[in-house]
Amino acid sequence: MNKDHFCEVVSKSMLNEDTALIEFLCPEIAQNAIPGQFVNVACSNFLRRPFGVASVDKDMGTFKVGIKIIGEGTEELASMEEGEGTWVLGPLGNGFDISSDKFILVGGGTGVFPVNFLYEKLSSEGKNVKVVQGFRDKSQIIMNDPSYILTTDAGDAGLKGNCCDGLNTLSDDDIKDAVVLCVGPMPMMRAVASWADSKGLKCSVSLEQRMACGIGICLVCTCKIKAEEEGIPFEHKRCCKDGPVFDSKEVIW
Amino acid sequence: MSERLNVKVGETSLKSPLILASGTCNMGRELSEIYDLSILGGLSSKGLTIKPRAGNEGVRVAECKAGMLNSVGLQNPGVEHFIKYDLDFMKSLNTGVIVNVAGHSTEDYIDMVKTLDPHKDKIDALEINLSCPNVKEGCMSIGSDAGQVRKIVSTLRELTDLPLWIKLTPNVTSISTMALAAQEGGADAVVLINTMLGMAVDIKTRRPVLRNNTGGYSGPAIKPVAIRMVSECYQVIDIPIIGCGGISEASDVLEFMIAGAAAVEIGTASLVIPDAPVYISEELEAWCEENDTDIASLTGTLKLWE
Repeated sequence: MNKDHFCEVVSKSMLNEDTALIEFLCPEIAQNAIPGQFVNVACSNFLRRPFGVASVDKDMGTFKVGIKIIGEGTEELASMEEGEGTWVLGPLGNGFDISSDKFILVGGGTGVFPVNFLYEKLSSEGKNVKVVQGFRDKSQIIMNDPSYILTTDAGDAGLKGNCCDGLNTLSDDDIKDAVVLCVGPMPMMRAVASWADSKGLKCSVSLEQRMACGIGICLVCTCKIKAEEEGIPFEHKRCCKDGPVFDSKEVIW
Repeated sequence: MSERLNVKVGETSLKSPLILASGTCNMGRELSEIYDLSILGGLSSKGLTIKPRAGNEGVRVAECKAGMLNSVGLQNPGVEHFIKYDLDFMKSLNTGVIVNVAGHSTEDYIDMVKTLDPHKDKIDALEINLSCPNVKEGCMSIGSDAGQVRKIVSTLRELTDLPLWIKLTPNVTSISTMALAAQEGGADAVVLINTMLGMAVDIKTRRPVLRNNTGGYSGPAIKPVAIRMVSECYQVIDIPIIGCGGISEASDVLEFMIAGAAAVEIGTASLVIPDAPVYISEELEAWCEENDTDIASLTGTLKLWE
């Protein structure tokens, strides 16, 4: 099955000065992507750029990605306008296990995009979902919903503190038997995984590494995962193919 | 598929000159989900060692102009695991099975060939990797010493009847000296070239981007270097050359073959466009039809300026 699709931009908006939300037309990706999966998008630079799927519209045959401008490649992609197109490989990676009925979602940084997709999917299925978002300050807030628990380091919006401070506002009822799914910067995911562990909750995180192929053939995007075999300190697993989603207890932080 | 793409590398017949380069196709599973690999002349396995290797610490990749650096460091499951779980799968792909053999010492290479030889009915050639730049011992350090190249190839020659393709490093003063040494040792073919040793610097941190400091540079940027090396070696050696380095379109294959390659390997192109070999193959067939010629007739037809 060929996964490389030429996708046209059908809508585009700037969420803040350096982050764009782009909607591509691609019925195959819209139909098949599950939350936590990503796409690898071609630009003028040599390698493609990976982005977590932020939303799908199966009826319209479209999907969205959030693009934060980091360098030349992301700058070019974030400047695409309606009617322009590029090659998109996907959907890629394993995605989250969403078979439970009760979830706590935690998003920070560009992790808010896959968390948005998770929220859309889980709430449409009528599942019990709480969402915690963490940002540096008010100017960084994107993909927010009034129902979310919002935290900022600066304290100029929402609760002053980090995601764990947000998690600590949840009631015992909210927490009981919930599965924690977290996407964000490594220190945040590590702290959330530790919080989940302290509450006896299962937690999955989505890891991020510098990537090339996105399909598991080059082995450059590996992350350290606890080995199944005894006597081996760790295994290098491919973030793109074996992940990006891993059980937080398997991750060597 | 058109027979016009059939080639021979010494005694080894391949249905196409296109081979997937080691380290850019894993063991073929992932790409076989994207296109039918039987259109290829062959697939070269991920570089294998006697014991499993975890590879280098990340960051392992740095994007460059017209290419990339990698410092994977021969991460592989070990040859026993390969024989148990991957070799039959590769054989089932209905394309040439090339097994890439790496090591840290002569003894490692001997053990590897002895381990693989009993499975020769499933293997079309052993690609002896004397060129990986990302490990401290063996590989490139052997491949950059003509005496050691000659010695290791002649030692391995005694151990197997399987075709020995020697993959050489461009990080040497004279590639033709190394190719000649491989030929003298009894090689069936040489593969030119592995990656070029390079470095990228993060301006903000003033540290190399790669955790390994250096890495192997691949991609279209190295193609002219590879073609020069193929041409240089073609003047000097009698055994076939498999060209490799920056091939991303059909015209690149034609260039390599005119310069002296009997077949070619496609590497980094697969990391950017996974099914690039499909388009390259179709274009090569069309070119052969248009020019009413077989692809093999191109090899070494370069007319150097006097």
